[in-house]
Amino acid sequence: MIPIIDGHACTGCGKCAEVCPPRAIVLEEAEARIEEEFCEECGFCAAECTVKAIAIPSPRSADHR
Amino acid sequence: MRYPHIFSSGRIGPLTTKNRIKYAATETNFNTQDGFVTDREIAFLEAQARGGAAIVTTQGAYPDARGEGKGFRGTMSIAHDRFIPGLARLAGAIKGNGALAALQILHCGREGGVDLDYCLMPTIVPQRLSYFKPPREITPREIKQAVKDHAAAARRAKEAGYDMIELSGIVGYLISTFISRYTNKRQDEYGGETIKERCRLMVEILGAAKAEVGDKVPVGIRLCGAELLDDRGGNTLDESIESFHLAEEAGADYVSVTVGWHESSMSVITRDVPMGHWLWVADRVKSVVTVPVMMAFRLFLPDIPEKAIADNMIEFWEACRPMIADPDLPRKAAEAKTTAIVPCIACNVCFSRLYYHQPIMCTVRPSLGHEGEEEWGYYGFARTSAPRRVGVVGGGPAGLQFAAVAAERGHDVFLWEGREMFGGSVILASKVDDGGDELLRPVQYLEGKCRDAGVKMERGTTCTPEMLRGWGLDVLVVAAGSLFGSLGGGKSPRPDEIISGIKQPGKRVLIAGGDGVGLALAMYLLRTGGHELFIVEESGRLGGDVSPFYLWRYLQLLKRKEVRVLLWTTLLSWEHGLACLKSAKGERVVEVDDVVVASRQARPDMADAFRAAARDVYLIGDAKRPRRLHNAIHEAYRLGMRI
Repeated sequence: MIPIIDGHACTGCGKCAEVCPPRAIVLEEAEARIEEEFCEECGFCAAECTVKAIAIPSPRSADHR
Repeated sequence: MRYPHIFSSGRIGPLTTKNRIKYAATETNFNTQDGFVTDREIAFLEAQARGGAAIVTTQGAYPDARGEGKGFRGTMSIAHDRFIPGLARLAGAIKGNGALAALQILHCGREGGVDLDYCLMPTIVPQRLSYFKPPREITPREIKQAVKDHAAAARRAKEAGYDMIELSGIVGYLISTFISRYTNKRQDEYGGETIKERCRLMVEILGAAKAEVGDKVPVGIRLCGAELLDDRGGNTLDESIESFHLAEEAGADYVSVTVGWHESSMSVITRDVPMGHWLWVADRVKSVVTVPVMMAFRLFLPDIPEKAIADNMIEFWEACRPMIADPDLPRKAAEAKTTAIVPCIACNVCFSRLYYHQPIMCTVRPSLGHEGEEEWGYYGFARTSAPRRVGVVGGGPAGLQFAAVAAERGHDVFLWEGREMFGGSVILASKVDDGGDELLRPVQYLEGKCRDAGVKMERGTTCTPEMLRGWGLDVLVVAAGSLFGSLGGGKSPRPDEIISGIKQPGKRVLIAGGDGVGLALAMYLLRTGGHELFIVEESGRLGGDVSPFYLWRYLQLLKRKEVRVLLWTTLLSWEHGLACLKSAKGERVVEVDDVVVASRQARPDMADAFRAAARDVYLIGDAKRPRRLHNAIHEAYRLGMRI
């Protein structure tokens, strides 16, 4: 699942862009944006983010459809 | 029948199996964060059952309500009766498709507590891998609770309809940490000098689970046959082997032999370990038990387990990664269509994604995790209602994968490869490290796939825009790969020239760029020998795009061979044998014979050049942006689904 960046929480520090293996994160006006086309959904960015601005959506249960 | 032993029936406790293949437990991160099974997990295991394995094992479900045993965000739980309906649906999907359903109960111990700020261990031994949680010593009461949790989990598994139950005590999970001398220094009855004392928890859990489910549901266990922790004071080999004997005495109906802990500083499951390398461990276990012995671990090709079963080293062939890559592996092996098997290349992308809380992904099979979604074509693609005439420039992994999917969907596909061999940059990659030739298997597989789907392929034909005039293509896909550059107008060799043996660099070589390409080149030069290497990297780390499962070994080798690594450093110039480098500390000059630029360039120019060749022109793979193998394959697959 492609991570979601919370623009309000993002400080634009760029740590996520630095660790992104396919270099799919760009910094725009001090805010990170994911180029979805290149995202591998590895989650490195979310793990790296110090302000928890990057979230990975959770799957839904088969029991709660 | 090419594999008579694999496809003979077997026995586990009171159960008869239709063959000797067991899909082994694999975490997927497909399930919800609160432990419920998802449709995605069900579709994945349904595919495993439909592929023809005799036994399909679920991922390890954690048995405790607090989540101390939970190792991954998306692991399913069996800690409460409310999970039974989902687990029952999963069992139904397996059994309904002709396989026996085994449920694994897994308390991750030293690797658990993924949502907590601690993990449980028999004694506090600091983590060697920073990813894991700080350990807290498990209390005697908690030990009793763990035994009860496992027993309750076994009951729930039986209620959910599972045919058999598996316990896992490997790699640093709770049971293994009690068994190992390295992590169990307890003074109470759960610790001790002898292996028998340290196996007490395992024996109690096995006994409690057996007592709960009775004789009709076999209970097996996975244990470590060789911990590979000699540098940490782990169990001796004899002790580890003895633990299997103790498991049998405690009632285990089968044993599965594994090798290594996650923190062992040795290669265990990577390509540099030859296939079948660890069978000797299973053979040792076989000599001390009478119940069936199983093993996974680098048994990728059916010929290896076939021989191992014939030689009476194992009774069952367990497969994790090979069947993530291809759940249909058993069926294809039974029909002796081994070249049609989607080949796992042990890249461990699946595994490493778990540690970033992401669902597993497979380099060679993009449909992983999408088995239930028709458009992903796991069970075959629907034919398009609007077939188009499609050209593909380049027969590397991206070109081949795209062509295969497009042709399967009914498009009319032509593919041109300039060289005499398909594979593109994979050919280079295959020459770098031990076991690298395994990387060629997906190329051969895709080639076969293209041929079967009716792709018209030509080798040794460099495709030019002129050549395509008059072809009347609707779609052109440019998958021509990336370009390597060089300094000094070609004076210095390029990485591809060096690795393919066309040019030899001088003695002192400076590699500019420390990502995968730079490291591959360094590995290649270290293996050929006789070079003094420098690696210059602008960022603060090497191999940012390299799988951690391989990276540690490469870095270790760089250190051992005294390669000089200069981080946060830029190459300014290289003239008259002097390389000028700049870092925060200032500028410095190094004398080197050659500077090799280890970076690749995309080919947007190619898309422009071919713009007139078809109505739609796409640039994919490294030509679009140089990345890893899985990017090329996945991007191509998705485009094939779409056009």
